[in-house]
Amino acid sequence: MIPNPLALIAEITHRCPLHCVYCSNPVELAAASSELSTSEWIDVLQQSGKLGMLHAHFTGGEPLARPDLTELIAGARAAGLYTNLITSGIGLAETRLQALVDAGLDHIQLSFQDSREDTANWIAGAKAHAHKIELSRLIRRHKIAFTVNLVVHRQNIDHLDEMIAFIEQLAPERMEIAHTQYYGWALKNRAALLPTRAQLERATQAVAAAEKRLAGRIRVDFVVPDYYARFPKACMGGWGRRLMLINPAGKVLPCHAAEVIPGLEFESVREKTLDFIWRQSSSFQRFRGEEWMPEPCRSCDQRTQDFGGCRCQALLLTGDATATDPACSLAPAHHIVEAALVEANSGAALSRPVAASSFVQLQRAETLWSYRTNPE
Amino acid sequence: MPPPEDSSQPRLAAGCRWGGAEDARVILFPEGAIKLQGTGRQVLERCDGQRTFAEIIAELQAQFSEADPTKIRADISQFLEQLRHKRIVDY
Repeated sequence: MIPNPLALIAEITHRCPLHCVYCSNPVELAAASSELSTSEWIDVLQQSGKLGMLHAHFTGGEPLARPDLTELIAGARAAGLYTNLITSGIGLAETRLQALVDAGLDHIQLSFQDSREDTANWIAGAKAHAHKIELSRLIRRHKIAFTVNLVVHRQNIDHLDEMIAFIEQLAPERMEIAHTQYYGWALKNRAALLPTRAQLERATQAVAAAEKRLAGRIRVDFVVPDYYARFPKACMGGWGRRLMLINPAGKVLPCHAAEVIPGLEFESVREKTLDFIWRQSSSFQRFRGEEWMPEPCRSCDQRTQDFGGCRCQALLLTGDATATDPACSLAPAHHIVEAALVEANSGAALSRPVAASSFVQLQRAETLWSYRTNPE
Repeated sequence: MPPPEDSSQPRLAAGCRWGGAEDARVILFPEGAIKLQGTGRQVLERCDGQRTFAEIIAELQAQFSEADPTKIRADISQFLEQLRHKRIVDY
């Protein structure tokens, strides 16, 4: 008996006004012309509710790039789902925010790239920071939950205390301090993003202090830096165990990056029902449970906690999606992660170029990393 | 953040609400849901922003008259404080 999925991640478009250097979208983006229509999404949301899911997380790209977002939020609420909008905030002002709230939006998760405007715009590859601050004030006028998300990495982690204080004055219920996860664009840019061990230790202390200080006011959630961990992360809470992700073109994936795994066929909501895909598709069954596990996972006590780690990371780093996640200290291929850490902790690693005062100048720093592009 | 006072009026925090079927009620919040059965559900159903903490305690002490009233009070206080830390309840 396969338990029901808990949540839908609706990647409704890959179009985005930002170009963040650590974007979790695949490097091969879905074209705008292939996107599901409004009625196709409404149908998928209905199916999600019937399948017992509780949450719909609208993400992208930038979900606000879809003019029908308000209809989709209303559709999710009608299907009995809790609605979460994961956004850069670009494209959102008072009128549209009011419409989204009226349609039943429960929660906004707004991303910030930094507390400092120049660095924030440099990381995003766009002038977005000032608008986000203004939008935060608007959000607080509505009775919806508000989370501020901040991705941390080598280029901003040294002033994490300042960034936490910055988020605090935006008065969210929750802040999510997320270490960069190395897939897609972030993997391309890893040398410029992976922090040193000393940076990580200071950051961990800063988060622990903030958690204590803000208890009861702002909940602090933390996404772990798996390269420095002893055991891998329980990616997606286990393959085909909790979550279904639908990409802009309607392909149903067990996680954000699954399309990088060769040999897997992903079904489309245009051809199959979600119920069928969850229970019977070969892609969702491929790494579900423990049958697929190699040693040392198969006999490891941790396997019920981390499910062998992340399949996509295994593929990206070792070329073999069935390998133990190399982030695990027990993995045969752990030396790959160790080599990246040696590089990050050596003096030769890329450091931050001279701060520039305007975005025009910031563009010149592009040689440090590749900005996320947009789909055709 | 201190535990609730007698005059506090506990309520669900912004963006947290009831969901699920009648026989499997859950509180939905941004990144999850908690299943509520028995006394937990009875406490949270009274967190309507109208009743005071003292009133909620009194109602449940009356309903569970066999149990130690001091323990009921301490348990509910701790329960609400924990939910406040998760930003599911405000008071």
